[in-house]
Amino acid sequence: MPDLSEYYQPQSLTAALELLAKSNGKLIPLAGGTDIVPAMGKGELKANGLVDLSKLSEIRRISMDDSEIKIGSLTTFAQIETSPLIQAKASLLADAAAAVGSPQIRTTGTIGGNIANASPAADTVTALVTLDAQARLDSIKGSRRVLVSELLCGVGKTNIHPQEIITEITFKIPSTGSKTGFIKLGRRKALAIARMNLAIIVTLDNGKISFARVGLGAVGPNPRRYPVLENSLVGQSPSESLIDEFAIEAEREVTRVLGSRPSAIYKCEAVKGIARDLLKKMFSDSGQGVV
Amino acid sequence: MAQFHLEMKVNGKAIALDIDPGLRLLDVLRDILHLTGTKEGCGEGECGACSVILDDELVDSCLILAPQAYGREVITIEGLALNGELDPYQQAFLEVGAVQCGYCTPGMILAARVLLNHKPKPSQQEIARAISGNLCRCTGYAKIVQGVEIAASIKETKEGVSRA
Amino acid sequence: MPEYSIIGKSVQRVDGPRKVSGQAQYAADLNIPGALCLKVLRSKVAHALVKEINVSEALKVPGVVQIFTHADIPGINSYGIIIKDQPALTNKVRFKGDAIALVAAQDEASAIIALSLIEVTLEELPPIYDVKAAMREDAPAIHDRGNSISAYRVKKGNVESALKQAEVIITGSYTTQRIEHCYIETEAGVAYMDNDLLVIKAGTQNPHYDRRDVARVLGLPMNKVRIIQTTTGGGFGGKLDISVQCFLGLAALKLGRPVKIAYDRHESFISTGKRHPFYIDYTTAADKEGKLSAVKVRIVGDTGAYASYGPATLLRAAVHATGPYEVPNVDIEASCVYTNNPFSGAMRGFGTPQMAFACESQMDLVAQAVNISPVEMRRRNIFQKGAVTATQQKLDASIGIGKTLEAAWEKALQVMPGLGDENI
Repeated sequence: MPDLSEYYQPQSLTAALELLAKSNGKLIPLAGGTDIVPAMGKGELKANGLVDLSKLSEIRRISMDDSEIKIGSLTTFAQIETSPLIQAKASLLADAAAAVGSPQIRTTGTIGGNIANASPAADTVTALVTLDAQARLDSIKGSRRVLVSELLCGVGKTNIHPQEIITEITFKIPSTGSKTGFIKLGRRKALAIARMNLAIIVTLDNGKISFARVGLGAVGPNPRRYPVLENSLVGQSPSESLIDEFAIEAEREVTRVLGSRPSAIYKCEAVKGIARDLLKKMFSDSGQGVV
Repeated sequence: MAQFHLEMKVNGKAIALDIDPGLRLLDVLRDILHLTGTKEGCGEGECGACSVILDDELVDSCLILAPQAYGREVITIEGLALNGELDPYQQAFLEVGAVQCGYCTPGMILAARVLLNHKPKPSQQEIARAISGNLCRCTGYAKIVQGVEIAASIKETKEGVSRA
Repeated sequence: MPEYSIIGKSVQRVDGPRKVSGQAQYAADLNIPGALCLKVLRSKVAHALVKEINVSEALKVPGVVQIFTHADIPGINSYGIIIKDQPALTNKVRFKGDAIALVAAQDEASAIIALSLIEVTLEELPPIYDVKAAMREDAPAIHDRGNSISAYRVKKGNVESALKQAEVIITGSYTTQRIEHCYIETEAGVAYMDNDLLVIKAGTQNPHYDRRDVARVLGLPMNKVRIIQTTTGGGFGGKLDISVQCFLGLAALKLGRPVKIAYDRHESFISTGKRHPFYIDYTTAADKEGKLSAVKVRIVGDTGAYASYGPATLLRAAVHATGPYEVPNVDIEASCVYTNNPFSGAMRGFGTPQMAFACESQMDLVAQAVNISPVEMRRRNIFQKGAVTATQQKLDASIGIGKTLEAAWEKALQVMPGLGDENI
């Protein structure tokens, strides 16, 4: 059990930010807790004190304004998974949220926590970087917006300052007619940390792909976009042969990134499978994933 | 060491306690309130034996600190057969033989209850997904899925009577 | 079939209502006010001699009541189902996780601090993780009796001449992995003195054996030890061995106070028995119709640091090596070997699942070689009435396996689309 010398449960964001500002880095913000509670129990994470964010309902909501979706950082995976708005406008994120852990973890874990935890395999983060999502970080000094991809800087590492809290995640809704998808490869169907995950957005203009975004997780230290793979789609028409070419390109990229790591043999082969499965689903005529 | 004044509802009863805030919800339920029907199997959210219902949602009580439940309502397995009469989930699990060693059973039954609250007539796939965070090492799950189906039909016929 | 009042009827579990309502009390649910918390110091190396254990700093931790080592064992410091080779608290480390010291404290936090302050001086020995290395003549002995515990032979007919005449010979090497039972309830228990009677309540599959071993380790007559099995959250063979029983008994007896212990999942994984990894060399001979003529099988089971049920597991492996098939000529040898791996014991099937993997794989390979379907291969060799097993038992009563095979095949055709081309 963690030996906490301080524990705060602020009722407002301002109060939470003030606590963090005063604490000199001694306090850690607690969101859902699904990662840090067991880590503290095992002594892997030492915390002097916690700022429990659970009462900040102001940052637990999903909204849309014009062309942008805003997700409060304390929104749980379950809320995202079942949100009609996210399902309609960014189904890749709903699918990614649905792929996290187990029902219990999804009702507790939050999207902000998923970013801050900076796991290489974070499911929703792969979807978010593919969406070019931005995180809003607040401190008593003000707020800033940073691309989620730029906030992450290695396994378990972020550029979040100790006085800051991620309060909101925003992204532009993919243009109408775009298709989006997410796929996860785990050792089991549930409760699996992704061996790999893949998110794709494509926009079609007159039968040709005019815009593509491809994000891969659990390959590098953090999920990120792969421009080479995006370029391999742009200008092409959806077809069986494009799926095959994309799969080979994905294998080449993963080989390049992983080099001689032990997981390379498996992941280079496996990425072809998930790439084919996902593109096949997206290119089929079903209305699934259409914005 | 910090102290935290915890107020929550457990199985319909208001609880107020001064606790060490480092305690997990599981620890408070088991060690302080002696509600030992909630089990610890892994301590890291893999097995679901510690599942409880928190404001109508299923959570692993080993993954959250007790203060996070402040002002909220917790239902444990002990909160189901309050009048001494087994509720439909418990009846169904017994009837079909979904209980063997019984260690996963409280979590499974609570997972079933949350599912049926949201979806009174779930498909087998929906049941499988709803219990995907609860491990059972004895049954192979087939009887548990059947148990949830039977619970759904018992509940339907008892509609209005069931507390759920 | 006639209607019976009991046979063919479902019976509700007597413990069912308690289990579905959360009232069933498993070992960790037992609450004895004032019980001391027990924690075990476990080795982080696999093979070493314990030279010195210094507990003086650890004893100074507020809340710590006593710390026990091998020197405190009042009886014979060894237990085990088949071979008494496992010490309750050891002076020689044989696997990563061997118990070196036991802390009794008023609360868990103090016990954990005390664990970190116990100073153990070890003389490390080269660890042996590989069974083949452990079997070598010059291998360091993990136990005084040597590393090879027992060997079992099953011989029937003349394998060498059958191999000479065979039209098809398939040889394969198979290895199977170590498996943790992973019952959802980890090991736990409480103990207290009822006058001069030691009472231990624990999750176990083997209270009678527990009683014998606890009495032996504590130097008590059997009638002064009582083991009560609590509602047990799964065992699958893994709770046949002693886990927490001797620790509970030792502390309750020596301190005269109630004590409680509960493993977390990590400790359960590290310290308890596993399914035996097998190393199998399997040669199968058949004629061109796929009729088996001989098998030659060599099996080595890695029983790890302690024998547990290892000898019995390897005996079963030898006996079941031919699977449910009639083989006229048989030459099987199975050895049980110590290594510095976690110990292996009983787990569902007791050595037969490992053998089924090898035997059935061989059947598929023979089927492929003689160009018949895997199911036909089995039909041609499955035990029929009058068959003689590898151990020379004549099966002259009813034999259900042929019917089972057909029923399984029928079911497979129903539930596995695309299957059936092989059905010749």
